[in-house]
Amino acid sequence: MSDVAFYDFVREPFLKLALWVFFLGIAYRFFRVLFLGIPHDYAKPKGNPYYMAVKKIVIKPTMGWTFREIFARRAINFIGGFMFHIGFIGLTFLVPAHALLWREITGLPIPMMPNIVSDMLAYSAFGSLLVLTVHRALNPVLKLLTGKDEYFANLLIGLILFTGLLATKWAGSGYIWILSIHIFLADLLIIYIPFSRLSHFVYYFLSVGFMGWNAGKRGVSF
Amino acid sequence: MESLYNVFKRRGYTRRDFLKSALLIASTIGMGPSFLPQVVKALESKPKPQVLWLSFQSCLGCTQSILNSTSIVPADVLSEYISLEYHETLMFSHRSKEAMDLQKGRYVLVLEGSLPVDGGFYCTGGGRSAEEILKSLMDGAGLILALGSCASWGGIAHAEPNPTKAVAVDEILKHKRVVKLPGCPPVGDVIVSVIASFVVTGKPPEVDGEGRPRVFYGQTIHDRCYRRPFYDAGKFVGSFEGEDAQRGYCLYRMGCKGPITRNACATVRWNGGLSFPIQSGHPCFGCSEADFWDRGFIYRPLSVVEEGFSWKEALAGALIGTALGYGTAYINKKLGGG
Ligand code: SF4
Ligand code: SF4
Repeated sequence: MSDVAFYDFVREPFLKLALWVFFLGIAYRFFRVLFLGIPHDYAKPKGNPYYMAVKKIVIKPTMGWTFREIFARRAINFIGGFMFHIGFIGLTFLVPAHALLWREITGLPIPMMPNIVSDMLAYSAFGSLLVLTVHRALNPVLKLLTGKDEYFANLLIGLILFTGLLATKWAGSGYIWILSIHIFLADLLIIYIPFSRLSHFVYYFLSVGFMGWNAGKRGVSF
Repeated sequence: MESLYNVFKRRGYTRRDFLKSALLIASTIGMGPSFLPQVVKALESKPKPQVLWLSFQSCLGCTQSILNSTSIVPADVLSEYISLEYHETLMFSHRSKEAMDLQKGRYVLVLEGSLPVDGGFYCTGGGRSAEEILKSLMDGAGLILALGSCASWGGIAHAEPNPTKAVAVDEILKHKRVVKLPGCPPVGDVIVSVIASFVVTGKPPEVDGEGRPRVFYGQTIHDRCYRRPFYDAGKFVGSFEGEDAQRGYCLYRMGCKGPITRNACATVRWNGGLSFPIQSGHPCFGCSEADFWDRGFIYRPLSVVEEGFSWKEALAGALIGTALGYGTAYINKKLGGG
């Protein structure tokens, strides 16, 4: 198989399949949990559950942002996690080639960023992913919480970042192969998300809101 | 048999004109100025190449392309130098036999167009099928050139639904070394350079894994595109009428296939080095890569799903997922007694 034939395969039938699996799978997981519901609670709420649900969603991202918390106790988690998420989300949506795909899917005028910004994001996301993975493997608490799923996801994302960087920077005459492998791995990731803990991004608001709702119900603060 | 230098002289050109052409030939075939004396000597002494040109399922655009090649040698010199001993479209077929006997083992066999393998009656000449004609001439060739995307990959005749079961020539010439010059059509100067390099070196050019000369097909259009700084800066043309188009921004958004297309357009250029499609404001549509006719609408960006995946498909997927999620939750609840 030539590199262009492989490119055509990963770009058309495989990407299409991946997108179908992604949208179907994510909706399936989300609504399955939602429709299962929770047992009816007959106790009268002691606070305002809906207000607390919204409050929790809004303030949660900044809740740990005290100097002591960030720099003294969980520096790697906070800084590494922040850099990784900003980089990965930025690259996923705003690299021109990616933005054009999302524009077509969403119909929104998604902006496109120049190479210099995507390079910086890619280096920082790749570096922080490496640090976070090593940290995960060495930290006694995180080690216990980590399964094969996380390591596989980290490996897949790391390879996608690496091949993306390789394709834009150093691929030389192997450019089409590297680019195709990059797209192939991204297709795999898109398929893998609904089956893995990577789908946390769709549950994020649901679970954080639920925590707030629970706190409001019991009349306690966060 | 005359050499290139003799043709120049007879046509009234100066030695300086000849040396200019020799230098161009040396540089386009990647030999560099230090090899110039060798190239000059070869072009002064070696007889002009004998070319047998077979056209199969083609539009003759490739023939047109070589006739329009003017930057390497002047047009009148070229038409004499590339000595067409036999051209399937232009001459009676019995001439092929004479030409073949004359130059056995040395002639250049140029193949234009794809071959139909369905019954052998879609493409014939002098009562013989294309395959028969090709097989009768292949053994005496010193260089076999598959000219254009049709001969190299099957081209337009091979595009869906491929009614004649067209194939590339190397599928018929399985055990032969075929040098491919894909493109629709290939750059005329590239064709001339490859034939001239065969005269100079006596060997086919160095090729990549697909049989294309590395010197012309080693890089993508994107690698050598002068609009690349705009691509890197994230500045794209959004419509052919817009200001961005006038500013000469990158054409990726307009469907440019330069990133996956290997060809010499961005370096050798067309019409005597004057321009190439991207320079004229049109995206490259990847004509030198296999099956480019089947790659969907040419103005769609490379990174989108070729046949489309919009919010409608995303919503349909999400609705199916929701229905399945609801169904599973319902069954779970029933089984769990909830
Ligand atoms: S490659 Fe293009 S120009 Fe050449 S014969 Fe085929 S369709 Fe015509
Ligand atoms: S116009 Fe095409 S080949 Fe040139 S930089 Fe843009 S995408 Fe690449």
